[in-house]
Amino acid sequence: MLKATLRSFLAHKGRLVLSALAVLLSVAFVAGSLIFSDTVSRTFDRLFASTSADVTVLPKEDLETSVPTGAVQTLPASVAERLTGVEGVQAAHPDVEAGNVTVTDEDDEPVKPVGGAPTLAVDWYPDERSVVELTSGRAPRGDGEAVLDADTAEARGVQIGDTLSVQAQPGTFRVEVVGIATFTTTNPGAALVFLEPRVAAERLLGSAAKATSVSVEAAPGVSDAELKRRVAAAVGAGDYEVKTSDEMARSAAEELGSFLDVIKYVMLGFAGIAVLVGVFLIVNTFSMLIAQRTRELGLLRAIGADRRQVRRSVLTEAVLLGLVGSTLGLAAGVGLAFGLIRLMGAFGMNLRTTEMVIGWATPVTAYVVGVGVTFVAAYLPARRAAGVSPMAALADAEIAGVGRPLRARAVAGSVVGALGLAALAGCVAATETSSAASLLGLGVVLTLIATVIAGPLLVRPVIRVLGAAFPAVFGSVGRMSQRNALRNPRRTGATAAALMVGLALVGGMSVASASMSRSVDQQIDKTLGADFVIQNAHFIPFPAEVTERVRGTEGVGLVVRQRFAPVAVRLPDGKRIETTAAGYDDRVDDVARVTYEEGDTAAALADGHIAMDAGFAEEHRVRVGSTVPVEFPGGKSAELTVAALTDMEGGEGFGMTGGLFLGIAAVEEHVPQGQDSALYVNAAEGTGPDELRRRLEAALEAYPQVQVRDQADYKELVHDQIAVLLYLVYALLGLAIIIAVLGVVNTLALSVVERTREIGLLRAIGLARRQLRRMIRLESVVIAVFGAVLGLALGLVWGLCVQQVLALEGMTALAIPWGTVVAVVVGSAVVGIAAALLPALRASRMNVLAAIAHE
Amino acid sequence: MSTPAAEHGPADGIAARARGLTKAYGSGETTVLALDSVDVDIARGRFTAVMGPSGSGKSTLMHCLAGLDTVSAGQVWLGDTEITGLKDRELTRLRRDRVGFMFQSFNLIPTLNALENITLPMDIAGKKPDQEWLDRVIDTLGLRERLKHRPAQLSGGQQQRVACARALASRPELIFADEPTGNLDSRAGLEVLGFLREAVDGLGQTVVMVTHDPGAAAHSDLVLFLADGRIVDEMPRPTAEAVLERMKRFDVIRAQSDPERD
Repeated sequence: MLKATLRSFLAHKGRLVLSALAVLLSVAFVAGSLIFSDTVSRTFDRLFASTSADVTVLPKEDLETSVPTGAVQTLPASVAERLTGVEGVQAAHPDVEAGNVTVTDEDDEPVKPVGGAPTLAVDWYPDERSVVELTSGRAPRGDGEAVLDADTAEARGVQIGDTLSVQAQPGTFRVEVVGIATFTTTNPGAALVFLEPRVAAERLLGSAAKATSVSVEAAPGVSDAELKRRVAAAVGAGDYEVKTSDEMARSAAEELGSFLDVIKYVMLGFAGIAVLVGVFLIVNTFSMLIAQRTRELGLLRAIGADRRQVRRSVLTEAVLLGLVGSTLGLAAGVGLAFGLIRLMGAFGMNLRTTEMVIGWATPVTAYVVGVGVTFVAAYLPARRAAGVSPMAALADAEIAGVGRPLRARAVAGSVVGALGLAALAGCVAATETSSAASLLGLGVVLTLIATVIAGPLLVRPVIRVLGAAFPAVFGSVGRMSQRNALRNPRRTGATAAALMVGLALVGGMSVASASMSRSVDQQIDKTLGADFVIQNAHFIPFPAEVTERVRGTEGVGLVVRQRFAPVAVRLPDGKRIETTAAGYDDRVDDVARVTYEEGDTAAALADGHIAMDAGFAEEHRVRVGSTVPVEFPGGKSAELTVAALTDMEGGEGFGMTGGLFLGIAAVEEHVPQGQDSALYVNAAEGTGPDELRRRLEAALEAYPQVQVRDQADYKELVHDQIAVLLYLVYALLGLAIIIAVLGVVNTLALSVVERTREIGLLRAIGLARRQLRRMIRLESVVIAVFGAVLGLALGLVWGLCVQQVLALEGMTALAIPWGTVVAVVVGSAVVGIAAALLPALRASRMNVLAAIAHE
Repeated sequence: MSTPAAEHGPADGIAARARGLTKAYGSGETTVLALDSVDVDIARGRFTAVMGPSGSGKSTLMHCLAGLDTVSAGQVWLGDTEITGLKDRELTRLRRDRVGFMFQSFNLIPTLNALENITLPMDIAGKKPDQEWLDRVIDTLGLRERLKHRPAQLSGGQQQRVACARALASRPELIFADEPTGNLDSRAGLEVLGFLREAVDGLGQTVVMVTHDPGAAAHSDLVLFLADGRIVDEMPRPTAEAVLERMKRFDVIRAQSDPERD
């Protein structure tokens, strides 16, 4: 029996190629993402472990915020002196590292990393833990000198002797590059500017008495844990964070991890799509192979093979396919990881491909995924094969297209579909974002499953409509292609399902993102009254000089600053909520339209006052006049009186829970190291917007990190942020389409083989090759468009529900991108034509006589 | 032959003709001659049967005459058209417009109903069928009640009748039937043969039928006997007994000349 299985596997290897390719793709993405993340985390674990001091003392970590404030947390440099005398401490050294700097060259061009990593200004303190070593020039001495890392110097064409401007929070200063330092470890992608330690503290932190951390080295024989204990005791554990090098490495790895997780999840998303779509392809392949081999299987049964043996034979074939696909996929995964590592190099993160880490989990996962998927996908076809009666060997081969009743599918499809729709309805009805989101997730999964199950049932009605014009336009060729697509609804359904999955995703995301964009547009229209907004594209705060320059520009009538502060508010209902508060200058009414339920801007921004969203206030039992304790970073706190309640859509988005805002003076007072995040500018009487824009741009030439935007530009900026999400979806779609095309090719190719005699007959009675090709193309188009229509319908439903969830977050506008919808349908027809190319060619090349004589 | 062979080109009353028709498979020492310089004229308006033992080349002869297969040497005419040397596209058109086919099995496109199958060659050509003729064919074959049925809903005999109707529908110059009764029970077989006879006598069509059933051959006007790629004999106004007798002689000759062959 095994021999027969092997023979059969080898005999059908041509027909299994596409299935193997589907397995290969899924496994490649799984293996590639595992290898990549293993390699990156191993590299960085080593980097952080080797570069962290035995024990590091850091400012107390308190309020964290996702909204950058431009402040750097510091501790007194004297901590280092205090620690020098502590027993077990070999050396203690204050470090300075500022991530809130912008460096420009003499032409005001930014000197920054190639990728999105930050520019760091740090003190020059070479020791065995340094990540760099001086490779040319000399170390910086005194004010006005700096060393630049070699990668950035090369990328930005900076040489020794060049002058750079460093815009730091206390002020901008100029330095001459006196040396170039090269990374001795993996370059994580940042740009590094080194200053003499004292200069670094003064210029970056504003005082030589400050530091951002203190590195402590243990005396011989003192363990890190022991040292940590002693250091903590010496500095006062409550005032500072004290971490061993292992702990530092771990927290650094966690920070990096969240970035790596994104890549990992994206890759796993791709793998998931590949697996999901691949399953349809494999199910179809095995179903068709078994349909074609009915007589052979009948013969096996007739000569005494029992059902189990037949089933096992088919499953063994599937496992073989899985093994082959997984092995190739594993190899492809190594290639993919290699490519990704190289790609990271393009973004400035220089990992070494020679240090690729392939943990034991990678091949195990690869084979479990590859073989598991094929096994599961082949299980039902295998059961069906086992059900072939011995009589099948004697009877005439079953005419392809005889479908078994779809009753079971109808029942299962409607039950799951009803559950899914109920979940979606619940999501629409929900008033809490979190419960709405989880109902949405459930609804999406269930409706997807229901559509896949019920797909074959929808084939007849939908394709009847889709292909209705075919007989009229293409005559009998059109009629035959339409009916061929209807012939085996199960097969057509499964083939189209592959495409459907991808397009449903795209449909949903397109509606969601278009709605988000429109909502944001509406909000901007409704709330933004300023002529111009000056800010960084990534909303990173900028130095005070920008504000001064803008204020000093001729024709500027009004400048309102925006500044953020991480806060924690203790509310009357007992909850302590960490969020971000915004501070504004007084005349915010002139640059923005804020609607108040109670109170007004003047009250909100007055000293000792704060304003918040009315809904949030109600939820936490805050009233106008309530006094709330507000904590600021560094242990500062203030009792603020709630003086106004706003009623604004979207006031709470993006890490701004509660929509808190107050006078900018309070923010300046409580977060003294902060920087402005945005400037809202109105032209003075008599100055045209174009003229003002020109002047502002000229004034800000030396500050490439900020841009001048009017309302249209501002909308575009937000659209671009939303678009990033879409690009990811389109990439996923790309992969899904590739596999879906493989599926259509596969189905058509096997159908052509199955219909050899029919094609021979058609050719004999006078169907031209061209007409035959057209017939197959049209069938392919019908299948592809069917998948697209189903997918888009599902996607639109999802999109509507997503929009309902977004509406809870204040994004109430609904936009359906009809352009995208039409493009996807047209695109799917093109995909259908492309998928039919090879099968059509093959059919038209078929020898008429051989086809007729086929028995 | 029933008609004296003219020296050049087809004469009136000849539906198809072959001269020196040779078909070889393989090359060098393994060459097998399926047709060995066959000269044949198919008379117009007659029912010709081609008989011969398995491997005699009777199907190959039909395929070459119908423009389904290429020839190794010789010439074939369909009416006035020399079809040897035509390109695939021209041959396809020729089959579509001027030849009708019936095969042993799998004659119909399963996705099309009976009427659509019958008019398929004309639909492919983008031509309107001659409704009067079509009605006559359909009524002659008794298919009026079955036109909306799919092949799977028809019996074997009904399927062959639909195939016969399709072959007749475009009023081709020549109808080729390859073992049209091979898959039918005797009653359905007789019915189909009766229709082919009627197509010739009543509708004035020309039919060439390949068969190995002497009973089927007996319905024809003329039987051509093929053996080893040559036409070895012919029998006008055949009867089943006479054809059977003639066929038995092949077996005897074969047994004597080549005892190894099956």
